[in-house]
Amino acid sequence: MSASTSVPATSDATRSHLLKRVLREPQLPFIAVLTVIMWVGFAATTDNYGSFNGVFALGTTLTTVGLASLGLTVTIIAGEIDLSIGTNAALASVIAVQFSDSLGALGAVLLAITVSSLIGAFNGFGIAKLRVSSLMFTVGMLTVLWGAARIVSGERTVTLTNFEFGDFLKERWWIFSPTLVIVLLAVLAVAMFLRYHKYGREIYAVGGARKEAIAAGISLTRPMVIAFLIAGACAGLAGALVGQRGGSASPDGLQAILLTGTTAAFVGGASIRGGRGSGFGALFGAIAVAVLSVGLSFRGTPQYLQSAWIGALLVTVVLIEIVAQRIDTANTRREVLQKVSGTRARQGPAPPKET
Amino acid sequence: MSAPPRAPKKPTEDAPDSGSRSVVQSLVDRTGSPLALGLTVVLLVVFVAGAIDTDNFLTASNIRSVLRTSAYVGILATGLTFVTISGNFFLLSLNEMAMVASVSFVTFIAMGFGFVGSLLAVMVIAGLIGALQGMIVGFGGNPIVVTLGAAGVLFGVASAFSNNEVLPMTRPHPAEWLGSGLLAGVPAITWTFLLVVIAGDLVLRHSRFGRTVTLIGANKEAGKLIGLHPLRTSISVFAISSCAGALVGIMVSSQLSQGGVELFADAVGPGGDLTIGAIAAVMVGGTAIHGGEGSVLRSALGAVFIAAINNMMVLRGFTNGPRLLFVGMAVVLGVTVYALSRRGQS
Repeated sequence: MSASTSVPATSDATRSHLLKRVLREPQLPFIAVLTVIMWVGFAATTDNYGSFNGVFALGTTLTTVGLASLGLTVTIIAGEIDLSIGTNAALASVIAVQFSDSLGALGAVLLAITVSSLIGAFNGFGIAKLRVSSLMFTVGMLTVLWGAARIVSGERTVTLTNFEFGDFLKERWWIFSPTLVIVLLAVLAVAMFLRYHKYGREIYAVGGARKEAIAAGISLTRPMVIAFLIAGACAGLAGALVGQRGGSASPDGLQAILLTGTTAAFVGGASIRGGRGSGFGALFGAIAVAVLSVGLSFRGTPQYLQSAWIGALLVTVVLIEIVAQRIDTANTRREVLQKVSGTRARQGPAPPKET
Repeated sequence: MSAPPRAPKKPTEDAPDSGSRSVVQSLVDRTGSPLALGLTVVLLVVFVAGAIDTDNFLTASNIRSVLRTSAYVGILATGLTFVTISGNFFLLSLNEMAMVASVSFVTFIAMGFGFVGSLLAVMVIAGLIGALQGMIVGFGGNPIVVTLGAAGVLFGVASAFSNNEVLPMTRPHPAEWLGSGLLAGVPAITWTFLLVVIAGDLVLRHSRFGRTVTLIGANKEAGKLIGLHPLRTSISVFAISSCAGALVGIMVSSQLSQGGVELFADAVGPGGDLTIGAIAAVMVGGTAIHGGEGSVLRSALGAVFIAAINNMMVLRGFTNGPRLLFVGMAVVLGVTVYALSRRGQS
């Protein structure tokens, strides 16, 4: 993904180069195959899972998981993480429901997304300017936003009185719903921005090689603000859509999206060391997590056991990354050693000729 | 109500002040960053003014209650300080560890293991769970991500094991003294908090192990070169922190004579859930997130400070929302002060 992988592929090293690409790249084909296998397995053993309704339920779950995964992926690419994404989404859902009467549904949704995005930008600005770890900053903001959500909602679950917009979000267009279309458009926009826009590339740069990027003249502030703004916007969009679609919003809700979103982001190939991951990877990871969690739901697995499965999946992905990283380092070292000994062998007889 | 508590008013009023003065002093010594100092001073002035202005805040019984409330978060923060100093940030699985401990402790007691037997059994389980997380982190996993996953697993395990119900303990049970006992007029919970903090501080500052943790947190490569083992260290600190989480789970169960996941869902007001509260305490206490520096005493003081703010706001009639907001702002402010003072240093 990043430019650092451009190791020249010599003819004798083609196979190890291929292996290296598989180890280093987000393993999208692998994830896709795994997801399909998982889906077929669930569909074969679970009633209704393979039906129209089952697929539609996947799309519904994908709203929160997909957006959380997308937002977290962007911050993880920047080498940071936004722990406040859950309470930011909760605040957005409360705003989207609470102000629905006074501002109209669409106005409330836009307000919620704006507020969440500004909070995200504030996170990024604070982290960049103070040069503190995003963990410290966003864990504080997690509590601030939780409190804010409770204040806005008046310490209770708020409910909609006008369900028109919420009902529109639940409409069925074949296997799609308006919510899912919005989510997919968001993924497309963020993925394109990350891949092709200069500012998007900067996010990779400060994540993968921060010191070098800063030395090369990239400001830390801009990519950080943009990355956390995207995370905030994703949280806001997720919260607003969930609040409007469900008709009610709790200030204590949505905190679980930190676990599902992080799992999806890592399944989708984002690396905690920063600089790696992509918008479509975030979507693929989210689809995998959604297939798992909807499958468990359809089998009647209680919510708490779903969190155990998703937690186990996250730990497994981390373990796989550790192993892949170790193999990768060992391969690189061997290659470098070979190269060094190769040049020595060539240089050995050379000096006498030149002199 | 006003006459008898007046006697202990003076010493208790001094207690938080003298602790914070040492923080200010160390800030002056270390930094000279006027903004950091200014923020700290403003926070303390607000706190002291609030303490004097709030009715019933500076009474003996209320201060006892603040110390009792801060015990849980304080014990967790003590364990967490080891992890943070070792350079491994935080555990996000403390609250869930307490859930597992609560459920298993009640089960062991019901099986007739007795207090000591159940305590030891739970501690062994907690130590192993912590060690496993520490091992994955030691092999190169990110602590936040690993413990976030572990939190999900532990939550599921605790819920499944208790069938997602609250398990009652038949009273009287052998752990009653720990939850509601008094010794010299001070609750056993507070005594435990005190003992844990003293033990933690002694181990961290005066034992070979504590110095190893600090060195590895400050400079892992240097630690490796002089023959220390970062893997062993991360296993130990995660085990310690998990045991602190388990102790809190046991104490909550002893106090409420119940065990279950529900007890930890919203039981412990201050910083939202226990994990976030403990992280907030460590950060307000100013332990360096990058490792190598920090103090158990300051983390414990952070826990007391947060509990005191919380208590003050309850007395002034604030609901949960503003309380969470204020605690969160204190953390963000603490992070800012920390960052500015570090910059002043360099």
